[in-house]
Amino acid sequence: MSAPLLNVQGLCVEFGPKAAPIRVINDVNLRVDPGEAVGIVGESGSGKSITSLSILRLVPEPPSRIAAGSITFEGRDLLAMPKSQLRHMRGRDIAMIFQEPMSSLNPVMTVEAQIGEAIMLHERMSRAERRARVIQLLRLVGIPDPESRLKAYPHQFSGGMRQRVMIAIAVACNPKLLIADEPTTALDVTIQAQVLDLMKDVREKLNTAILLISHDLGVIAEVCERVLVMYAGHVVEDADIRSLFENPKHPYTRGLLRAVPSLTDERSRLYQIPGSVPQAGSIKQGCPFYARCDLRQNICAQTMPAMSRHSSSHQAACWVTQNLSEVRSA
Amino acid sequence: MNQPIIQAENVGKIFPGGGGGLWRPAPPDVRAVDGVSFEMTRGETLAVVGESGCGKSTLGRLLLRLIEPSSGRVLIEGTDITTLSGAEMRQMRRKVQMVFQDPYGSLSPRRTIAQLIAEPLQVFGLVKNRRQMRERVAELLTQVGLPPSVMDRNPRQFSGGQRQRIGIARALSVDPSFIVADEPVSALDVSIQAQIINLMQDLQQEKQFSFLFIAHDLAVVRHIAHRVAVMYLGQVMEIGTKRQIYEVPQHPYTQALLSAAPEARLDRPYRRIVLKGDVPSPTAVPEGCSFHTRCPLAQGICRVERPPLAQVAPGQMAACHFAAPNSLGVAAAGPSLDKSNSPRARA
Repeated sequence: MSAPLLNVQGLCVEFGPKAAPIRVINDVNLRVDPGEAVGIVGESGSGKSITSLSILRLVPEPPSRIAAGSITFEGRDLLAMPKSQLRHMRGRDIAMIFQEPMSSLNPVMTVEAQIGEAIMLHERMSRAERRARVIQLLRLVGIPDPESRLKAYPHQFSGGMRQRVMIAIAVACNPKLLIADEPTTALDVTIQAQVLDLMKDVREKLNTAILLISHDLGVIAEVCERVLVMYAGHVVEDADIRSLFENPKHPYTRGLLRAVPSLTDERSRLYQIPGSVPQAGSIKQGCPFYARCDLRQNICAQTMPAMSRHSSSHQAACWVTQNLSEVRSA
Repeated sequence: MNQPIIQAENVGKIFPGGGGGLWRPAPPDVRAVDGVSFEMTRGETLAVVGESGCGKSTLGRLLLRLIEPSSGRVLIEGTDITTLSGAEMRQMRRKVQMVFQDPYGSLSPRRTIAQLIAEPLQVFGLVKNRRQMRERVAELLTQVGLPPSVMDRNPRQFSGGQRQRIGIARALSVDPSFIVADEPVSALDVSIQAQIINLMQDLQQEKQFSFLFIAHDLAVVRHIAHRVAVMYLGQVMEIGTKRQIYEVPQHPYTQALLSAAPEARLDRPYRRIVLKGDVPSPTAVPEGCSFHTRCPLAQGICRVERPPLAQVAPGQMAACHFAAPNSLGVAAAGPSLDKSNSPRARA
C-alpha cells in the first residue's frame, strides 16, 4: 500500500463557545493517494466545504476550532505546523479553487500579475521567465491567444474563462494536491463540461491529485475514482465510483441516487427523501439520517454506527445494511 | 384540439442600452428575446431550457406582462394582454401566476404565512372575511403538504423547500389557468428538489393549469414537461415533445446540451461533445445563425443566413439549416433510453 498523500483522521470541527460547542464536522476520515481523484458529495450544510477548508486551515479560528483529529500531508502534520510553514505549503503543495471565480480573483490586478504572484511566492525566477511560465499556464488551461490576454483584467473574461484563470493560478507551482470546492456550480452546463475536461486534462499532464467537492454526483462521476458521501457532518459512505453507483450501502446514498432526476429516466414520479436536511450540529445522538431513513431501527437513534467495510474499497456507516451484508456473506 | 390557453406570437424584448454620457458611448442594446412564438393548451407543461442569458426568464416575464414586450403579442385565453389597460391587466392577473426561483427573496420576511398566501385572495376579493380567509389558507397549505398550523409563523422559520411550497400555495390561491415557474428548484438541495418537482407535477395534474417551467437542468425537465423548448441567445432553437427532444434532437445545440449534462451514473446516455468557446453576449448576437460560433456543423450559409424555426417532424421544429436527427451523433453510443410508454407523454 503506498503512502497516502493526504490523510485526515478523526477530524472534528466545532463552532461556538467551548462550553456549548456546535459540532459541524464529526470524526471525518479521508485519504487521498498521490495522483488520485477523490470526490466529496453532500447537500448544503453537510460539512463538505468545512472539511476541505480545514485541510489548509482556512476555517477562521475562532469562531471555529479543530477539536480533534489529525491531518497529515506527505507524513507532515498540518495541524501542528507553524503558520509560516503552512503558508509556504499553500499554493505550492496544496492549491485550492473556489466556486465563484469573480470574487476569488483580484479585480484590479491583471491576469499576468495574479498568476505571476502565485509563482513569485514560491519560486525564484526572472521576470521574463515568469512571463513565459504564465503564458505556458494560460495555454495549458485553454485560453486562446494567451500573449494578448496577459494584460487583461478579470472583468474582461467570462465566467468559464475566469475559472480557467483560477485553475492556472492553482496549478502554477505544480501542486501535488488540488482542492476544488464546487468549481463548476456557478457555470452553465456547456461551460461546466469544458472546465471538467480541463481538470481531467491538468491531472493527466501534471499528475496532480484532486479533491473535488460538489453537491452534484454527476460532476464527481466525471472526474473522480472514489467518492465520500457526507451528511450532517459525518462521512456516511466511502466507495469507488462504480460500487457507489451499482451498490450503494447507505440509505442516504441510495435515496440520493434515486432522487436525482436523470436524462434518460422517465419514471413519472421521482423518489423523494422525506423531511429536510438537519441544521448543522443539531443532531447530538445516533445516526444523523435517522429521522429521514426508511430502514431505521431502534439502535440507530441511540448510537452512531461506525464505518463497516463491505469490500476493499467500499465502506458505509449504517447499522442496518452492515448486518444485511454480514448475513449475506455468512 | 383544445383552444390554446397561451399564444405567444413573435414576442421580442430589447432592453435599451441606455444613453451614453458626454464621454461615454451609448452601450449597445440587449436583445433578450427575439421573435418567440408558441402555443400552450390547457393542462400542458412546457419547459423552457437554456443557459444563463438565453432569455428564458425574460420570456416568462413577458408572458405575464411583468415587463412590456418590445414586439409581438401574447394571448391568454384569446385575449391580447399586450394592449390591455392597467385595470384590465390587473383582472387578468387572476388567471396567471408566478413561482420564483429564490425562496428566500420572494417572501416578505415581515409577514406571516397566512398574510402572504392570502394576499392574492384579498386583492381579488375572493374571500369575504377573516374566517373564510383562514379556511382557504389552511386548505392551500394542506394541498402543498404543509400543516395548516404553520400559518401564523414567519417565513424565516422555514427551510428553502418549505418556502418554495409556500410560494406555490400563494400562486395557487386564485386558481389560475396559467402558472410560470422560473427555476423553482434550482436553489434547493437535491433531496428537496424531488419533493418539489413531485408536488408541482401532482398539482398540475389535479388542477390542469398550463404550466411554463423555466429551467437550465435538462434532467429535471424530463420529469415534468410534456413539451420542451430550447433557447439560445433569445431565440427558440428547437421545440418539440419531450420524447422528440430527448430521443431525436435535431438541433446541434440541443444535442450539445444533452451531452454536456453530467449524469450520476456510469454509462453516459449521450456521447460527450464539448462545445468550444463561450455563449456570445446578447449585446452582440452573431450574424446569421446565432449558434454558428460554437456549432461543430457550421457551414458558410450559417454565418450569413439565420435559419427559421421550421417544422422537422410533426410537432417538432428546429432552427437549423442542417437539422437532422442526431446530427452530432451524440446518441451514437446507443442510449439506454427508456422506451416504456409514459402515461404523461403526449403524441
